[in-house]
Amino acid sequence: MVELGPDGLTGYLVAAAVLFVAGVFAAVARRNAIGVLIGIELMLNAAALQFTAYGRIHAATGDVQGQTAGVFVVVVAAAEAVVALALLFAVYRSAHDIDLEKTRELHS
Amino acid sequence: MSVEVLSVVVLLIPLAAAALTARIRHSDLAHAIGAVAMAACTVLAVVVAIDVVGRGVAVQGPHLRWLELGAFELGGFELGAGTFVDPLGAVMAVIVTALATLVLVFDAWYLRGDPLAARFPWQLCGFAFAMLAVVLADNLLMAFVGWELVGLGSYLLIGFWFHKPAASDDAEYQRNKGAGARGVIEASLSPSFAQQKAFVMNRVGDAGFLLGIGIVLVAALANGQRDPLSWSSLATLAAGGTSEALLTLAALGVFCGAIAKSAQFPLHPWLPDAMQGPTTASSIIHAATMVAAGVFLVARCEALFTTTALDVVGWIGGITCLLAAAIACVQWDLKAVLAYSTISQLGLMFVGLGAGPEAGGRAAGIAHLFTHAGFKCLLFLCAGAVIHACAGHQDLARLGGLRKRMPITAIASLLAVLAISGAPLTSGAFSKDGVLAAALAHATASGGLAYGPLVLAVIGSLLTAIYMFRWWLRLFAGDARVPDCSAHAHDPARSASVVLLVMAPFTLGLPWTFGGWLETALSGTRVPGAALAEAHHTATWIATALFVTGTLVAFVLFAPRSGLGALLARRLRAVHAACSELFWIDRIQDRVVARGLGRGLARIIARLDLGDGARITSLDGLIDGLGRGLTRIGGAGSLVHAGRLGVYVAVAAIAVTAVLFAVLAP
Repeated sequence: MVELGPDGLTGYLVAAAVLFVAGVFAAVARRNAIGVLIGIELMLNAAALQFTAYGRIHAATGDVQGQTAGVFVVVVAAAEAVVALALLFAVYRSAHDIDLEKTRELHS
Repeated sequence: MSVEVLSVVVLLIPLAAAALTARIRHSDLAHAIGAVAMAACTVLAVVVAIDVVGRGVAVQGPHLRWLELGAFELGGFELGAGTFVDPLGAVMAVIVTALATLVLVFDAWYLRGDPLAARFPWQLCGFAFAMLAVVLADNLLMAFVGWELVGLGSYLLIGFWFHKPAASDDAEYQRNKGAGARGVIEASLSPSFAQQKAFVMNRVGDAGFLLGIGIVLVAALANGQRDPLSWSSLATLAAGGTSEALLTLAALGVFCGAIAKSAQFPLHPWLPDAMQGPTTASSIIHAATMVAAGVFLVARCEALFTTTALDVVGWIGGITCLLAAAIACVQWDLKAVLAYSTISQLGLMFVGLGAGPEAGGRAAGIAHLFTHAGFKCLLFLCAGAVIHACAGHQDLARLGGLRKRMPITAIASLLAVLAISGAPLTSGAFSKDGVLAAALAHATASGGLAYGPLVLAVIGSLLTAIYMFRWWLRLFAGDARVPDCSAHAHDPARSASVVLLVMAPFTLGLPWTFGGWLETALSGTRVPGAALAEAHHTATWIATALFVTGTLVAFVLFAPRSGLGALLARRLRAVHAACSELFWIDRIQDRVVARGLGRGLARIIARLDLGDGARITSLDGLIDGLGRGLTRIGGAGSLVHAGRLGVYVAVAAIAVTAVLFAVLAP
């Protein structure tokens, strides 16, 4: 049942799960906002990995929906990074810090 | 212009005049503009009255829909305001506008030199507008609005000299007051207090009035009326739309309002206190506007009044008539006599109305309202002339012998006194006959207790002749008792004297009976029955006998050199004291209602409202507690929203995981 190696599915799923949990941990525990962003990127990539892994199973029939979704995730992640970094710039300008423990007030 | 449109113009001219004169600071100019406007209004009102009375019809003028609830086909209804002129309202409108005009002309002289004089015209015009809104209203709602505005008008005029101190602290009042003024509570007698007293007492009556309107509204809606408060709707209700008990209740509610407005027992004490206003204001309040509204409304809502309700009206009127006449006999303030006389005469009108339409009571009561408006207004203007001439003196014990110095005033007031006493051929005799005839016809038809109001009215009428001649004899006959009071007395200036002379002919019967126009107008097409004709015959004899007896008694007791009046007062000390003390009604109301009940209630409400400031045992505490509780809940909630981004993400992740498990778990 357990099929590790390039043709199996389980190895990809385990790798994706590890990536996702690492991302969640980073998003929850990191105090640096950049760290949190990296955590979110990890979660997105875990999702993209799963898409492509499942897509691989159906690739023989010419169905590439999984891969397409993976590409979409990459694009969304890029857009998200742009917006989030812009927000971080704005926060830094007003609070002179991006430590999330220190920037808890909505107005400074 | 058609009558429909004219009626609206008549209604709105006084309002426009009030708005215009309110901006004018110059007294004479303001009075002149007000008088010209009201005179124009009078002319138009006369045109309307001649048309409506001549044709004997009721005219529905323009109607403005204010509130439409639901579609008519589905049982919806509408409320609004519009004009409605029938002979009753048309004649009343003429009287209101005509008296307002004359009073304004007189007042321009009376208040000359008073720094507040320029305020009088707009208040009077506004007052006249309010009264016309009651008189020309086409439904109960608009009548109620006018009714409340009338209350406001009287409030303003009674408190005209709002800066005056209480009578107990007023040196001028103490110097000029009548020697025997015993029942008055001086500590709470001032213009500002009197205006509040009038307003609050009318609130008591209005509570009943509102209840009556509510009952009519509900009953009419249950009956499927689309215009539930219109006069025609009332008639439909009475014609068999609803139960008799409900009608009686509604009628008593309306009458409750009338008791307060028309100063009937037990809500009458505001009217004598209202003498705190200028005498000219009193003359309009007592004649055409304020107190007339109550009588008018009862006549207007005649359809609602069942036999039971009419009996209540008659009895209250009778009691008031006698009570106030007895009090008037022993008053020493010349205006107080007139005030109680008004209360007594209003009681007589209610005796008439209480006799019911079959006995011709409505026509009789209203006829007395009209004629009374004429001679009472004149009496008050004469009183004003006397007070003005004698530098504020109002004491019947000190004034005297004014006929030589003020001949016009003396003759005008003598005519008015004859009229109010019911001397033959005067207007008062004509209308008082009618009231007594109606009461007699009603009593003969019903028997038993129905004789009560008649007897009370007869005794009251006898006393009327006595106290009115006492008043006149004290003021105008004999010689001045304290000469310096009236040393410089003289008739009013020409403009004001003309007003007295214009009004004097209307104390005679002829203007009212000419061609029988008033009777025709008021009784409509109803032909008085034989029983009423016979009652009228008897009543004429009774009224004449009452006048002759009363006048003789007054001359015997109060002729200039007769000491019999004082002797009688000593012999009947208990009765005299009771009358002088106003039957303790003022004091009882002050103690029990104002101080006891009122302050007690206020204290309870204050306790409920403010509490002791700490616990949630009061409205204030409840609101504060609610606020504090919400703050506490918010404080607890704010711990969750501490702004820690990590916590949010963790909660979101755990929640999403939990939801996914719940959804996907097999």
